[in-house]
Amino acid sequence: MRASSLGKGLGVAGLLLFTLFPVYLMVVTAFNGRANAGSRSLWPEDWTFRNFTFVVGEGGFGRYLTNSLLVALGTVLAGALLALLAAVAVARFRFRFRTSVLVMILIIQMVPVEALVIPLFIQARSLGVLDSLLGLVVVYLAFSLPFAIWTLRGFVAAVPVELEEAAYLDGASWGRMFWSVLLPLVAPGLVATSVFSFITAWNEFVFALTFMADQDNYTVAVGLRRFFGQYGTDWGALMAASTLITIPVMVFFVIAQKRLTDGLVAGAVKG
Amino acid sequence: MTGVVTTLRERTRPGRGAATAGPRPGRPRRSASRTARPWLLLAPALIVMGGLLLYPLLRVVLISLQDFGLRQLVSGRTSWVGFDNYAELLGDADLWRTVLPNTVVFAVVAVALTVVVGTLVALLLARLRPLTRGIVTTAIMVAWAVPAVTGTYVWIFLFTPGDGLAVQALDALGLTDAATANPFASRISFYGVATLNVVHHGFPFVALTVLAGLLTVPQEVTEAAIVDGAGAWRRFWSVTFPMLRPVFAVVTVLSTIWDFKVFTQIYLMPGGDGVNRGVLNLGTWSYVESFAQNRYGLGAAIAVLLTVLLLIITVGYLRLLFKEDEL
Repeated sequence: MRASSLGKGLGVAGLLLFTLFPVYLMVVTAFNGRANAGSRSLWPEDWTFRNFTFVVGEGGFGRYLTNSLLVALGTVLAGALLALLAAVAVARFRFRFRTSVLVMILIIQMVPVEALVIPLFIQARSLGVLDSLLGLVVVYLAFSLPFAIWTLRGFVAAVPVELEEAAYLDGASWGRMFWSVLLPLVAPGLVATSVFSFITAWNEFVFALTFMADQDNYTVAVGLRRFFGQYGTDWGALMAASTLITIPVMVFFVIAQKRLTDGLVAGAVKG
Repeated sequence: MTGVVTTLRERTRPGRGAATAGPRPGRPRRSASRTARPWLLLAPALIVMGGLLLYPLLRVVLISLQDFGLRQLVSGRTSWVGFDNYAELLGDADLWRTVLPNTVVFAVVAVALTVVVGTLVALLLARLRPLTRGIVTTAIMVAWAVPAVTGTYVWIFLFTPGDGLAVQALDALGLTDAATANPFASRISFYGVATLNVVHHGFPFVALTVLAGLLTVPQEVTEAAIVDGAGAWRRFWSVTFPMLRPVFAVVTVLSTIWDFKVFTQIYLMPGGDGVNRGVLNLGTWSYVESFAQNRYGLGAAIAVLLTVLLLIITVGYLRLLFKEDEL
């Protein structure tokens, strides 16, 4: 018994070390005032916010953060609306080709970005929409839709049909039922899928790298490259910028995971 | 392109809707409006996905049959060359000696490690008390949440030639010489670092999915096995694994798909952007051939090859999924 609990303790310790060490190193280096001078310690030799102020100010990272935020919010808002409508269609209606549509949505998720970036770059170039944030929003919207539809479908299906029928009996039109009954009940699922759409847009690298030529239009994922290698790597700045990118994702991630697992329509059928 | 598609569809849609929906789209009982409604709801999403995912997929196949360089990009002219790009691709010794082995061996090793580590972590988590399990799960989520871009830079930082902490540690153990070692120069160590990065990023998904499966295995089954005198090893292979076979199948296939098309983690590493041709995989080769060499036709052919390989894996995934849960 004691040997097994010792083994468990060692397992947990090793696991925590492996999981958290890279994150720890990132944050510690971001606060290390001497990281640029070759300091490679596990504890900052000189606690400072200088790396952060440099990155956001001179480094131009404030601009990239704004760009990424705009792109991600655009993706989330458009994606939530389109995915919800589509999810209602596949969860609530039986129609011809329904299964084909679902299978197509599944298969399409597997298409590698490497295969899409070439034709989309050529298309965007001939339409003159390279270097535009809106162009990125449209691309990310397409990327986030399959997962969002697939996930929301489950949330919509979990809402009891009786609730909808009760609304109809009270004289509500389909539209009224949608806004007053279905939408509030699906809200947790909408939050979860929105968070994942946000993360998709926030983290995306290949398209941002290919489409954005003007530095003013960089998103955070591409903007990071500025600190890597150009004047020799500025590790303090790179890690400070990485920390700024990572924190919102972590917060969102924990929220989404909770929402996805929490009771979907707890209490809805009670009253 | 999508703009054009959207306006075209929107112009035709209201007419069709009015014709089929009748005077007022009231109660859902009416049959004509019931047929039209799901398609109206689906239309915006299908247009976006069709225009930006399906149509480009068709287009990349067409481009792979053309000589598409800078001149064609500027002039917009097309010059068809049939299967020349594929002939060049399949006749390239680099494909067979470097790129395919890099892609396939990396995927196999990374997937095996991801699934094994993820499963071990899940088994450990299942034996922990709820409080400890909560803490460890949160830590795992933190690792999962680190974006691929920033995670990759941390691993590069650790393995920087000369003064990287991992290089120093290996030097202290006498395994390398920190003064001369460059982990990014040789193919094996380059992909070793990439594997660490990808496994670290990928095992949380496996661990949490398998854990969810483990918690569904009835307590009595495990207890019966213990009573019969089965050890932990035996219990896993004779009880847990057969019961969770579908879960393992899904996490393995999904990990394979992700690791096959890994791009960012390779491209960002020193030399991964085409400077060191010995470490190219299918994804980075396609990108470098297109956007660095301006040989979009050949790049498209490589991308098609990658897509076909992924499609084969995906079909396997779908067959597993359909057995699990009917749509």
